[in-house]
Amino acid sequence: MSFWEFVSDRWSRLLSESLLHVSAVVQCTILAAIVGVTVGIAVYRSPFGSAVATALTSAILTIPSFALLGLLIPVLGLGAPPTVAALVLYGLLPIVRNTIVGLAGVDGAVTDAARGIGMNRLGVLTRIELRLAWPAILAGMRVATQMLMGIAAIAAYARGPGLGVEIFAGLTRAGSANATNQAIAGTVGIVVLALILDGIFVLIGRYTTSRGLRGQ
Amino acid sequence: MTAAAETKRATGLRMFAQPIAVVVLVAAVLAWAFTRDLDAIERQSINGPVLLDAVWDHLVISVVVTALVLIIAVPLGIVLTRRWARPAAPVFLAIATIGQASPAIGVLVLFFLLSGWEGLWAAALPITFYTLLPVLRNTMVGLQQIDPALVDAGRGIGMSAFAVLRRIELPLAVPLILAGLRTALVHAVGVATLAVFVNGGGLGLLIDTGYKLSRLTVLITGAVLAVALALLVDWLGTVAETYLGPKGLR
Amino acid sequence: MASEIQLTEVTKRYGRRPPAVDNFSITIPAGQIVVFVGPSGCGKTTTMRMINRLIEPTSGLITIGGEDTSKLDPDQLRRKIGYAIQQAGLFPHMTVAQNVGVVPGLLGWDRGKVADRVEEMLDLVGLDPAEFRDRFPRQLSGGQQQRVGVARALAADPPVLLMDEPFGAVDPITRGNLQDELMRLQAELHKTIVFVTHDFDEAVKLGDRIAVLGDQSRILQYDTPEAVLANPADDTVAGFVGAGASLKQLTLRRVRDVQLSQAAVTVSTSDEPADIRRSLQEAGASFALMLDTRRRPVAWVHVREPRMRRPIRDMVSRESTLQDALEAILTDGGNAVVTGARGEYVGLVDIDTVMASVRELRENA
Ligand SMILES: Nc1ncnc2c1ncn2[C@@H]1O[C@H](COP(=O)(O)OP(=O)(O)O)[C@@H](O)[C@H]1O
Ligand SMILES: [Mg+2]
Repeated sequence: MSFWEFVSDRWSRLLSESLLHVSAVVQCTILAAIVGVTVGIAVYRSPFGSAVATALTSAILTIPSFALLGLLIPVLGLGAPPTVAALVLYGLLPIVRNTIVGLAGVDGAVTDAARGIGMNRLGVLTRIELRLAWPAILAGMRVATQMLMGIAAIAAYARGPGLGVEIFAGLTRAGSANATNQAIAGTVGIVVLALILDGIFVLIGRYTTSRGLRGQ
Repeated sequence: MTAAAETKRATGLRMFAQPIAVVVLVAAVLAWAFTRDLDAIERQSINGPVLLDAVWDHLVISVVVTALVLIIAVPLGIVLTRRWARPAAPVFLAIATIGQASPAIGVLVLFFLLSGWEGLWAAALPITFYTLLPVLRNTMVGLQQIDPALVDAGRGIGMSAFAVLRRIELPLAVPLILAGLRTALVHAVGVATLAVFVNGGGLGLLIDTGYKLSRLTVLITGAVLAVALALLVDWLGTVAETYLGPKGLR
Repeated sequence: MASEIQLTEVTKRYGRRPPAVDNFSITIPAGQIVVFVGPSGCGKTTTMRMINRLIEPTSGLITIGGEDTSKLDPDQLRRKIGYAIQQAGLFPHMTVAQNVGVVPGLLGWDRGKVADRVEEMLDLVGLDPAEFRDRFPRQLSGGQQQRVGVARALAADPPVLLMDEPFGAVDPITRGNLQDELMRLQAELHKTIVFVTHDFDEAVKLGDRIAVLGDQSRILQYDTPEAVLANPADDTVAGFVGAGASLKQLTLRRVRDVQLSQAAVTVSTSDEPADIRRSLQEAGASFALMLDTRRRPVAWVHVREPRMRRPIRDMVSRESTLQDALEAILTDGGNAVVTGARGEYVGLVDIDTVMASVRELRENA
């Protein structure tokens, strides 16, 4: 069976695996963003807190994903829970780091001016600082998404959802007729989806960044 | 607080805390595993020679990958930043970007299925492809960010193009090349846990064995050792970055 | 040992645009400083860089000491031409000594000779070798970096020196000192120097001859500074020369050309305030000049408050122009302090001397 025959034959299955893959990654990125931005807000004013948060999240990133998954199985079992936990943890670093850098990079004169015209602390944070740090935060989410697309494939080992299933199926059926087709479908599918997601991030960036900040 | 100061402080913290974490992790997991009541199956994995073997395989793959990356990415980065080769740069960067956007496990499995190889090289070659980008990109950025006035000054006082490359451009790019190499090495140690799927051994073997045979002790020992190894390599990389860069830039 | 440089009908084109340098011909006499001055973008840098072949001319002939440069190996050629640029272009990963020793190293001198030469060069540009040899460029001030840049350019004793706005990035006082230093060096070394600047005052101060350039490196006037100031060739040059030409002519007179006066009283940093007051009262003067143990001027002190030291912020050397002296007088009030090669006190220039020169220049103009 040629690759294209294989794809059209299994189209609906591949499509649903693709959707699961993307939705797992997107949801986990959003979750990581919520956690990461919260952590960033909590620590960005303290140099020591920022250093600890950055050091910890970058230490997490050095952990081999297969090892982390292995450690999560005894705790969380199989399927969705270890997948989500692993993806959220890996997604944290770029988002936390960029949030801290983005917030710390806001010009003190701007926040001063905002306080000066009577905004309270929360107003300054949500209406000024987070708005100005948004491009950096978004960039962190973009990096996280790219990374998670690949890590999500490994999650299939712990019965996680997505295109990783095809890759591992190809591996177990090595030698059989469709093994290579399955591995190609899974791998190339992930690359294509990652590139599409990246494009979407560019668009989101274009439409959500204040026009005053563009071109910086 | 600038981003640079921020990173520097985090690096300082890790320089200090990471080796301690590694020692504690390794000591704890070994003490825990060896003092448990192990059944026959577990004892086949949890014993000195097998563990050492797994660590050794893992290291060999990582070192081979790093060496390959260094041999391929640095010269390629140098060539692609020469004026005559600049048009080719986007092509190679695109290939390397796709390499990194692709799932590591997919690249590994595909290479295994297509080549029919097994073992060290079946793991090392695809991991090299997957890991190339950080070093390639950092080499190129490192060379491109050099103030053109320095190259001009070098040529102006009579250095040949090669002398400028060797004595000015490369030393000044070393910090970024080392940073890329550290990233690549940590990637490599991480992806090398997947070598088990192409019969390449390594600490992934313990994780896989533990999972398949439902022996959590084996799984956890393998995973924790892999974590410790990655942290250790990352730490060594940070140390190298700090002490091998040119003194005048520190 | 200097060489004449000759450019004959030299043209440089970038792509299909009008040429950046169009049919440029000039003779730069051996042992002189010739300054290319003109507005930014007029082609000064391009013209200069064709001399050491960092840029290859599209057409035309360039000779140094009669030798056609296009026949030489470019790297060999450049090792015999000193090259100093804005912000010094020092290699940040090399120490001061390594930076200065690069060209002698390229020429294959042995280590000992290179090391000796480095010491000699640092001494020459006024940097104490023991203190500066092992520093990295980022540990130097802007002015010190420029000095090292000049030392590097001179290290292999090239007969020709190319300098592209070498003092463009330092503050005005430091720039003045660096210019003085270059004058002093040139008085000793007699190199053929091509100096590029967009600062007309700098051109007048440094140049034996000035080439005022317009668009595409067209030579508007090529003459001595005196002649350019007195008789601008056309309105463009006159615009460059600007108003206050007679004050500007102060840049043509040097401190060494006028009679120096001496401070009525000099005291040492170790003297007691009471002694200082007594010497001042004995001499009937109100100010004393305080010198350190190596006789370098430190401060002025007043008879009524001998404890209060008023530091001297701006000093001049014998090579400085009267314009510089006037600036120093305006900065520190009263007198400009003149120092010698080692920074030691040699005398004063007072405002009367400066004004007398202005009157004299006006009468002669
Ligand atoms: N590498 C180049 N490619 C194209 N145009 C150039 C290049 N270098 C200089 N030019 C052009 O040549 C003209 C002269 O430049 P330059 O010699 O640097 O002027 P100056 O040193 O007098 O400021 C300018 O218009 C500049 O834009
Ligand atoms: Mg210029």
